[in-house]
Amino acid sequence: MTDSPPRYLVFPAFIALYLLFDWATYIDPLYGLNITPWNPDPALGLVFWLHYGMAAALPWFVALTAGEVLVRNAPAGLGLTLLLSLWLTIGYGLLGETLRRNFGSGGVFDNRQRLFRWVAIVVAGTLCNDLVYISLLSLAGLIPAGQWGTAVLRFGIGDMVGVVVSMPLIWMLSSGAGRQRLRDTVYKAETLGYLGLAICVLYLVFGTIATSEFKHFYFLFLPVIWAASRQGLYGTALMVFVLQACIGFLVKWHHAVAIEMPELQMLDVMLALVGFSIGIVVDELRQVSSDLKQSLRLAAAGEMAAALAHELNQPLTALSAYGKACEFLVERGEQGEMLKSAVQRMMAESSRAADVVRRLRDFFRTGAMKLEPLDAGQVVSAVSQQFFTQLRQHGVELKVQDLPPLAMLADRLQIELVLRNLLANALDAVQELPPGAPRSITLSAQQLDSRRLGRGSCLQLTVEDSGKGVSEAMAARLFEPFSSTKASGLGLGLVLSRAIMEAHGGSLWAEVGDHGIFRMALPLARTETQENYVAA
Amino acid sequence: MLQHDLTVFIVDDDPAVRDALGLLLGVRGYRTAVFGSAEAFLQAWQPHWRGCLLIDIRMSGMDGLSLQRELLQRGCRIPVIIMSGHGDVGTARTAFKADAVDFLEKPLDDERLIAAIDEALLRARAEHSEQVKRSQSANLLSELTPREREVMALVVMGRHNREIGPALGISVRTVEVHKARLMSKLGVDNVADLVRISMLNK
Repeated sequence: MTDSPPRYLVFPAFIALYLLFDWATYIDPLYGLNITPWNPDPALGLVFWLHYGMAAALPWFVALTAGEVLVRNAPAGLGLTLLLSLWLTIGYGLLGETLRRNFGSGGVFDNRQRLFRWVAIVVAGTLCNDLVYISLLSLAGLIPAGQWGTAVLRFGIGDMVGVVVSMPLIWMLSSGAGRQRLRDTVYKAETLGYLGLAICVLYLVFGTIATSEFKHFYFLFLPVIWAASRQGLYGTALMVFVLQACIGFLVKWHHAVAIEMPELQMLDVMLALVGFSIGIVVDELRQVSSDLKQSLRLAAAGEMAAALAHELNQPLTALSAYGKACEFLVERGEQGEMLKSAVQRMMAESSRAADVVRRLRDFFRTGAMKLEPLDAGQVVSAVSQQFFTQLRQHGVELKVQDLPPLAMLADRLQIELVLRNLLANALDAVQELPPGAPRSITLSAQQLDSRRLGRGSCLQLTVEDSGKGVSEAMAARLFEPFSSTKASGLGLGLVLSRAIMEAHGGSLWAEVGDHGIFRMALPLARTETQENYVAA
Repeated sequence: MLQHDLTVFIVDDDPAVRDALGLLLGVRGYRTAVFGSAEAFLQAWQPHWRGCLLIDIRMSGMDGLSLQRELLQRGCRIPVIIMSGHGDVGTARTAFKADAVDFLEKPLDDERLIAAIDEALLRARAEHSEQVKRSQSANLLSELTPREREVMALVVMGRHNREIGPALGISVRTVEVHKARLMSKLGVDNVADLVRISMLNK
């Protein structure tokens, strides 16, 4: 039922599939009529309607009539059968049209709001359809007097359960994109795990169900929650459909028609709703987290582009000026030292540009981080060395307090980048001070207990400067992308630094105070004896 | 267009850019002087320097826009060209508001650079000749006697000799003598030129 195959193929296929569903779920019927406790066939019809709109009415009518004739030998007589099928087509059609108006042919199961709206429409629609259908049957005298209520309950529940449980999966299967996503989601060994668990639990529950009246039914929540929490709505849709199909199969196989099928169905629909709710929340959370990652990646790319642009602009400017100068010299017929030295300087500039590119590429290697135990002291001294000239030039004193001999688990290049960034910020901050004010930057390290990683598991590096510090208002915006307070957003922002720290399982934060305080925390490398634990 | 008496002052904290621009303008026959920072330029600055400034907007220490502002505050009207690594509209607007000649993006386009420098030097020359004229006429005015100055003030206000005489308590004939003498001292032969000179020194 994708958009591509022609209708003369799709419509007969729909009718055939509809009949197959009808036949397979013609279980425990009431009075030999199509009043069964599970009707997934309307779900198929509704998905069909969502795709084809009004054009779905005729094939559906044909399928309904054919079902009566072929599966049930038209117990109501031909004329009445046609009339009843006509009503069902109208009833289901109204439901289908309501869904179509509400969701278009876009996603029905995209977010919580849409999911709940879908449930509400389906419940109300099937109930409405059910009341009229059973009343018609009653009027025709096909339902014994006084049995109207039972029939309404049975047929209503059957339709509702059928649609709620089956429609999501059928909807997913009905479009190429849905099939692709379903395949991506459930084509995993884990799927076999929860399906296996579901079948085991079902078999156990079913073995005792005739005697214990659904006492152990709640076990079925386990595989549903497993599927929902790991694979979201798509996994859940598969799970609940399989569960429902198995229940139907077991009932048919055992001929266990004595059990309270409608009650079982109600339990099942609750199971499905719980599963869908968890599944859609899981999906939404994943979407949010991937959006966040995407925007972080964009921010990092933006920072990188800014850094690249500046670093490359200088050698490029020099190169083009040298080039133009050489052109002049050549035009003038100059061949001596001046031209030679200009060309040499050009070569020096191009290798400088190449250096910039290489350095940045090293920093932003996209592959996995190379985590290794790093001595905190070595990292600090390596980075602070790069600042010595600048510090001296601006009269800034750098105090490095005694660092505990601790090793942290990190990627050296990336951690150096973060520390360099913090030091550069501190340097900028103290340079804004009026002349005469004390200019100093202090680096210190402590061992911290982390709630997440256990006692003594974290190394905290603190960079303090004598600048004016971070105000409450600034602190809130500090780690937002593109919120630099500096005229020149040189280097890599705090956004990227924080992303790097978080990728290391650490963190980076600023403290509000009268002078600048930035702290970064990193997990410690385990000692030798626990090396294996880390590797595992 | 060569401007031998004018200098292009290049201020950029990147030694290679400085050197390359110096060479490029040098081989084209411009006189250049290079400075590694805004502070270095301000320290060396002499009021009699003439020419134009080519400033990088982003430098460690004082940045290009601050230098431009500082020069304006010191009353130095040397034309300024701003160079920027990434030309954002905001900084460009600030630069133009402070009367920059042009705002060039790095890497520089050679033709635009030369056009901007030539325009800046033209402005510097115009500014200079204006200044020369002003000081010349100021010199001439200082040679007038107090009485001649009084007469001149009234003449440029559009008064007739008949009105000026009674106003200053002298005869119309004497007014005519003063007027002829002051016009010959200032080297003008009509009242319009007289008005222009007096405007120049207001």
